[in-house]
Amino acid sequence: MNCQSCQERMIELADSRLDASTAAAVRSHIGSCPACSAEFGSLGAALAALDALPPAAPSPGLAARVAGDIETEKLTQRDRARWASSIRAAASAGGHRPSRWVPVFLQVSGACALLFLGFFFGDRTATQRQLAQLRARVDTMGQLVEQSVLQKRTTGDRLETVLTAGTVKKPDDRVIDGLINSMAFDPSVNVRLNALTELYSHADQEVVRAGVLACLPRETNPLVQVSMIDFLVATKAKEAGPELAKLAADDKADGDVREAAHRAIDLL
Amino acid sequence: MEPDAPLSDHELMLAVRDGDLDCMGELFERHHRPLFGYLAKLTGNRTAAEDIAQTAFQRMLKYRHTYRDQGSFTAWMYHLARRCANDHFRKSSSAPVGIDPAALEAHADDALGAAEAAASRDDHALLHRALGRLDRDDREVLLLSRLQELSFSEVAGILECSVGAARVRAHRALRTLRDHYLQMQKEPLT
Repeated sequence: MNCQSCQERMIELADSRLDASTAAAVRSHIGSCPACSAEFGSLGAALAALDALPPAAPSPGLAARVAGDIETEKLTQRDRARWASSIRAAASAGGHRPSRWVPVFLQVSGACALLFLGFFFGDRTATQRQLAQLRARVDTMGQLVEQSVLQKRTTGDRLETVLTAGTVKKPDDRVIDGLINSMAFDPSVNVRLNALTELYSHADQEVVRAGVLACLPRETNPLVQVSMIDFLVATKAKEAGPELAKLAADDKADGDVREAAHRAIDLL
Repeated sequence: MEPDAPLSDHELMLAVRDGDLDCMGELFERHHRPLFGYLAKLTGNRTAAEDIAQTAFQRMLKYRHTYRDQGSFTAWMYHLARRCANDHFRKSSSAPVGIDPAALEAHADDALGAAEAAASRDDHALLHRALGRLDRDDREVLLLSRLQELSFSEVAGILECSVGAARVRAHRALRTLRDHYLQMQKEPLT
C-alpha cells in the first residue's frame, strides 16, 4: 500500500468502517511511514473536532409544517382516489359501448351488469346527473390540487411524467388515472395538452371519455378546450351533446371554441 | 407476550409508498434532526436548512412511488435532500457564504465549566468558520461522510460518483478543512 491509498482510507479507518484485512494493511503502512502517521494524527483530530460540533436543532415550526404537508397529501390522495373512482363508476354506469377487446362472454355479463345499473341509476339521465356531480367535484378538487404539491414540481418534470406514462403499452388504472388527473388539474397548458394526446391511445375506455367530458367545463384555455372537443368527436362521445350545446351557446367562450362546439354537435 | 418490534425505516417507507402516509410522520421523527443538522452545516443558514428539509419530506411524499423494494431509506432521503439543496443554491444563485456559528449552535455544552465552555464555543465557532470556507462540494462530501448511518458506497451513490472518487474527495475536503482550521487558529482576533 502506498501513501496515497493509505491516506484515502484514513477517514474509514478512524470510523472503524474498513474490513479487517484493509484496516490491517492501512495500520501497517501508518506504522512504518512517519509522514502518514503524522497525517493520520492530525486528520483524526480534525475529524474528532468536526464530530464534536453540537447539533443544531430545528425549530418546532418544521414539525408543524411537515405534519401539514402530510395531511394535505392525505387529503389529495383521498380526493383523487374518490374522484377517479367516481369517474370510473360513472363510466361503468354509462358504458354503452363495450370495448372490442373484451371477450364475448365478458361482454354478455357486462351487458347484464349494465342492464342492472341502467335500472338502478335510471339510465342516461342518472349518468348525466353523476357527471354533473363529477364536474362539481372537479372544481373542488382543482382548488385543492392547485394549492398542493403538484405545483412544486417543475413543468419539465410533470411533462416528462406524462410522456413516460404515454409510452406504457398496457397501462393499469393508476397510469390512466394519472393521465386524466394531469389533463384535469395540471397548471401548465402544455402538460394538459400532452396528457390529452396520450389519452387518445386509450380512448376505447369509458373512463377516459368520461374524464375528458368531466373536465371540459372546467377548462379555460381555448386551445385545450378545442382539443378536448376534437377528442370527443373523434371518439364519437354522443353523451357530450348537452355539454357541447352549453358551450356553443356561451357568449363568454372563445369564438374558436364555440365554433368547434357547433361543428362537434353537427358531427355527433 | 413480547411487544411488536418497531418497523424499520425501509418497512415504514414501503408502507408510505403503499398509501399509509401516517408512516411518514414516524420517519420524520426519526430522521429530521440529523437531516436538519446536515443541511444547517451545509448551508450555514438555519432558515434555509428548515426550508430544504421541509421540501425534502415533501418530495419523499411526492415521489414515494419511486422508492425501491431493495433500498436504503437513509440514502434515498439524503439523495432527495441533496437535490433540494442544489435547487435552493441555484435559486439563490449563490453558494453559501460564511457560516454564523452563533446561529447554528443550539446551546453550549452545559456539562462544561464556564471557562471550558467558552473555550469550546470558540473552537466550535472557529470550526464553523473553517467549514464555511470550504467549497460547497467539499463541504457536502465531508458532511455526508460523517453521517454514521451512510456507508461510503451510499455516499458515492448520493453524489453520483464512484466509491474511489468519494473517498478521494472526502479525504481532500478533510485536509482542506484542517488547513483552514489551523490557519485560522493563527490569525489574530478581530
